[in-house]
Amino acid sequence: MIQKNTRRLSFFLDSVKNVYSIFFSMGRRAKKTKIFFLFSFLPVVIAFIIKFNQIFSGRSNVQGIYIFSNLIVVFYLQFLILILALFFGTSVTSEETEGQTLVYLTTRPISKSAIVLGKYSAYTTLVILMMSVGVLLSFLILNVNNLGNFSLYKILLRDVVVLGLGLICYTAFFTFIGAFLKKSIIVGLVFSFGWENVIQYFPGSTQRFSIIHYLKSLLPTSSSGRFSFLMFRLEPSPIGTSIFMLFLITVIFLCLACILFSQKEYILGD
Amino acid sequence: MKPIVETKNLSKWYGNVLGLSDVTLQIEPGITGILGPNGAGKSTFLKLITGQIKPNIGTVRIKGQEIRNNYNLFSIIGFCPEQDFFYDEMTGWQFVTSLLKLHHFSEPDVETRAQKALEIVKLVEDKDRVIRSYSRGMRQRLKFAQAIAHDPEIIVLDEPLSGLDPLGRRKIIHLIKSYKGEGRTIIVSSHVLPEIEAMTKRIILIHQGKIFAQGDIHYIRDLIDTHPHIISIKCSNARQLASKFIQQDYVLKVHFGSSNDSLLIETNNRDKLFSLLPSLFIENKIKVDEITSPDDNLQAVFDYLVGR
Repeated sequence: MIQKNTRRLSFFLDSVKNVYSIFFSMGRRAKKTKIFFLFSFLPVVIAFIIKFNQIFSGRSNVQGIYIFSNLIVVFYLQFLILILALFFGTSVTSEETEGQTLVYLTTRPISKSAIVLGKYSAYTTLVILMMSVGVLLSFLILNVNNLGNFSLYKILLRDVVVLGLGLICYTAFFTFIGAFLKKSIIVGLVFSFGWENVIQYFPGSTQRFSIIHYLKSLLPTSSSGRFSFLMFRLEPSPIGTSIFMLFLITVIFLCLACILFSQKEYILGD
Repeated sequence: MKPIVETKNLSKWYGNVLGLSDVTLQIEPGITGILGPNGAGKSTFLKLITGQIKPNIGTVRIKGQEIRNNYNLFSIIGFCPEQDFFYDEMTGWQFVTSLLKLHHFSEPDVETRAQKALEIVKLVEDKDRVIRSYSRGMRQRLKFAQAIAHDPEIIVLDEPLSGLDPLGRRKIIHLIKSYKGEGRTIIVSSHVLPEIEAMTKRIILIHQGKIFAQGDIHYIRDLIDTHPHIISIKCSNARQLASKFIQQDYVLKVHFGSSNDSLLIETNNRDKLFSLLPSLFIENKIKVDEITSPDDNLQAVFDYLVGR
């Protein structure tokens, strides 16, 4: 019995791996990826403009790492990772149904859950890579005169990990939304820039109903200056709880996406 | 012979629209043609037997096993869908090898099988081109390649000849027939009788979601041949041609078209009339612009057979 289950698990993981390798390789070449890769360079351009302005105006009283931390919260945490997760997460299932290519996958000896998990993993890897390149370049540009300070790299690593966790969690949520709804992008936009951006500022435990609350709880709350309002009213959860909640949300929505995709009937071409 | 595909009281509705109604049949190894006009329920039937949609009522068994959510069965099934959709940014080679990987073959095995499948459909020279740049015929052959690459026992082909030019059709028909001798079960759908006739003698007629008739093609042919056919000819000397036709006992009526250079001939023996045409044209030195058969579509034949 145990041997049989182990064999089934290994077959399932092998299926996930195969789906992952196909869609990671296809995703890398896709036009959509190239467009979003360029889009993810928006904060890099902003970082470049800020640094350029600092150097040529001679006003470099604000530290690069301070600007970098604000860039992470303003552009990455509240905007870019949501956009990347939304467009790649929902496309895990919707591009197969809308493109009518689902039939090529569902007539293979692999389970539908393996399709969802394989594609989710491939697309999450892609968006994490896209985000990491942008974050690294922004960091290097903004701290170009302080690159010998190794304590700054700890901040870079922490921010990349938090944003990575955010992408893992949001992409899982949007994978579920994509499998569940037809107009998933609209619902996703409402969730991202409506729910997530409003509920996080509610006092008390209400803000715990947003994913961004747990991500912000992993960042230092002592943010000050012009963008301090972004941490306004944040009543952070403990780090352990935040990581556990992000993990739990990811697992729940991935399981729901797998169940839904396996049970739902997708009628193509009619 | 033991049936490979068995359906029992299979029914499917799309909301209030009937897709298939109470279909009970058995399909044995060899080529079986599913024939019916557009919207008859052929694609619904093929989607049901490949487990892509679930029946409202009834069961589908492939080699004795339920198909729905039984993905292990797909190691012995190859499916060529009707829709002309692909991962367009892939090359033909990437498309076939990617789908083969999902069968858990080893890397060298994937390459050998992909190469063989692309050789069969004669796409080896174009394998490194992106699918987007393929012609309709090439795309159709690529769909066929992905359906046969894993060497399946059961091949299900949904309208594999649609949109192809005559040469492309001949190639695909030849390909399908070449699989006949290998003990496989091939189920192929079409709405064009001569296409099915060119592949197999065993056919199932579907009309309005129901199995209208099944059996040997000669039986269907006999039914159809008693149906009067109208043939339209545009030529240089319509009056002279009409005088020749009227002498034939199988020509029921001859009408002249509005421009006097065309004829509408009603016959109860289409094959005989077609065999007469070339000699008539040559002997009377008639220049022909066009020969069409306005009611030569399956819908007209079905309407006739069901007594509409």
